[in-house]
Amino acid sequence: MRLDIWQTLIYLLEGLPLTFSISIIAFAAGLAIGLPLAFIRVYEKDASFVVDAYEKVFRGVPELVLMLLFCFGLGYYFPVPFANPFFTAAFVLGLRSGANQSQIFRGAIRGIGDEQLIAAQSGGFSKWQAIWHVMVPQVLTYSTPGLGSEYALLIKDSAYAWVIGVLEIMKRAELLSVQTSNLVTPFTITLLIYVAITFPIAQWLDRWGNKRKKKMGL
Amino acid sequence: MFEQFGFIWQFYPQILQGFTLTLEITAFGVTFGLLLGTLLAVGDIYGNRVARTVIGVYVELFRGSPLFVQLFLAVYGIPAIIHIPINHYLLAFLIFGLNSAAYQKGYMKGAIEAVYGDQMDAGLSTGMTKTQTLLHVILPQAYRIVIPSWTNEFCSLTKSSSALAWVGIFDLTAAGVEITGIYYVVLPVWIVIGAIYLIWISAMAKVFDYLYEKWKIPGIELNMQ
Amino acid sequence: MTDIVMEARNVCKKYEKLEAVKNVSMQIRKGDIKLIFGPSGSGKSTFLRCMAMLTMPDSGEIYLGEQCLTKPGTDLNKARARIGFVFQHIYLFRHLTALGNVELSLKHVLKLPKEEARTRALAALKEVNVSDCINKYPSQMSGGQQQRVGIARAIARNPDIILLDEPTSALDPELTGEVIDTLRDLAKEGTTMLVVSHEMPFAHEVAEEMIFYDQGTIVETGTPEHFFNHPNSERAQKFMTRIIKRTMRE
Repeated sequence: MRLDIWQTLIYLLEGLPLTFSISIIAFAAGLAIGLPLAFIRVYEKDASFVVDAYEKVFRGVPELVLMLLFCFGLGYYFPVPFANPFFTAAFVLGLRSGANQSQIFRGAIRGIGDEQLIAAQSGGFSKWQAIWHVMVPQVLTYSTPGLGSEYALLIKDSAYAWVIGVLEIMKRAELLSVQTSNLVTPFTITLLIYVAITFPIAQWLDRWGNKRKKKMGL
Repeated sequence: MFEQFGFIWQFYPQILQGFTLTLEITAFGVTFGLLLGTLLAVGDIYGNRVARTVIGVYVELFRGSPLFVQLFLAVYGIPAIIHIPINHYLLAFLIFGLNSAAYQKGYMKGAIEAVYGDQMDAGLSTGMTKTQTLLHVILPQAYRIVIPSWTNEFCSLTKSSSALAWVGIFDLTAAGVEITGIYYVVLPVWIVIGAIYLIWISAMAKVFDYLYEKWKIPGIELNMQ
Repeated sequence: MTDIVMEARNVCKKYEKLEAVKNVSMQIRKGDIKLIFGPSGSGKSTFLRCMAMLTMPDSGEIYLGEQCLTKPGTDLNKARARIGFVFQHIYLFRHLTALGNVELSLKHVLKLPKEEARTRALAALKEVNVSDCINKYPSQMSGGQQQRVGIARAIARNPDIILLDEPTSALDPELTGEVIDTLRDLAKEGTTMLVVSHEMPFAHEVAEEMIFYDQGTIVETGTPEHFFNHPNSERAQKFMTRIIKRTMRE
């Protein structure tokens, strides 16, 4: 089968929605997990070992192995969510991102310092109220560069999903290379597509973050 | 299901072989990456515009795309283009190293810049050349500062080495794929493989943290406020 | 054979908004001990850094003996080996002990063998009275000790001249005394020194010539007696009154 460059490009780009869906869902999940974990780790010393263990697991087990474990391993016993490769990919990456984001936010909390919390509590807020109203907005702004690179990382790691069968960009490139007996073209284009989507996202988040930081005087 | 764990014990040789290869490739990648990364960082700080542009493009390409894509292109693509078969291992190791260097350049650059300003002035004021100051004053300090980031890179690299299984390298993940492929034992195999990665990485991280404490310049963290 | 150790001719250095050095010329002869003083931000440190070519002047010439340092193609590293520089913020090599700090340039610049470098380094450290700190790291020493090591690092190569940029400004007041004592000793031995400082005790006792520097230019020069008793220019008068008041309060 022969395809010209444009057909190749279009076929590959059709994988973008899946790439973006996986990374956005994983990022959102990571945020929902990472933000509370970070605050728990800093402010509730008794529970901190749970957070440490969670982070250790995701620092120590490859995402690929986890995807295979959940999709083909657990998927056998619980086909309902896990046999679906898209779900498993987003699930695994979401958990991983939670561990990374927990670290990012922890750094931000330390960077901002305790005075903010103390000031809020002296004004009558309870600890968790103070955290929600005073710390969280600052932590989010402070963390934008780290979050930017985490998001770029998620876009790249979405490529792991091809192994369990998600028809995102990399899988499409692999299919094309088999069917057209030409590997270099689809993969080179794929590489450039990824560079094109990671570069501006990280830059934009960085710049937006710096602007807001200046406004907040951080 | 628990008998299946015992069943896995028969595959000890494959697992060991795969694990050894994972160790080799990680060791190579992390060392090559550190050395090349240092060169790139120095080139980025010192070099002329051409050097900086080349380095910038290189880093952007390797950091902006998934390792998987890079591996496929290198291992299968390069021999196809030049019509000469090249050993998969050679290409895979090389790309792995180049990928790590792109990330480590960033860490080294950060460490060097944290040390740079005043220490370069001090070195020059004693009559040493820029190069001498870099070698004897700045890099010794930068390497000690960079250890935490480097430890992270080590963990990251070990995890991403799992991709090599799909370019014909028989690493730990490939061992897992083989076992699950031949026998209908899936979940326990991946649990075991995952556990091996976890124990190995956690242990190494502890080792590196210990070394960081041991080799730290006294008071360096105070100075880094 | 001239006995001018260093000379600046019509040196200019401008930063974006600030003209730090406006056409400044100065001669320093062997054995001179000159003090540059003046309001902060006037460009004194910039001028001193230009003398050592740590900052490149925009125009003008700097001479070290017969050699013109501002000429393109000059080996600045060799020249700087003949100049000792002491920084306001000290800038010791953090990863080395006091001994290591002083030995480093002896080994790599003067290319002395290990033994000789060590002997000379120990001698320099003894001269500044920090022999009890030789194996300590910078973070383990007080500011005064660190700065004295910084001076040892500068004098170990037996340079033609020592340039000191506000050597005591970053130190706690109790620690400045030991550094001033060290400088006094060096002065007694006939070391050629150009110091930027507002330490009036040092000025009074040790300096032979004081140079009042303000807004990029040399406003007035004279002996310490001249400045302490009857400076000519109004700016110098205002400055001296303020400084003396402050010193008396301390």
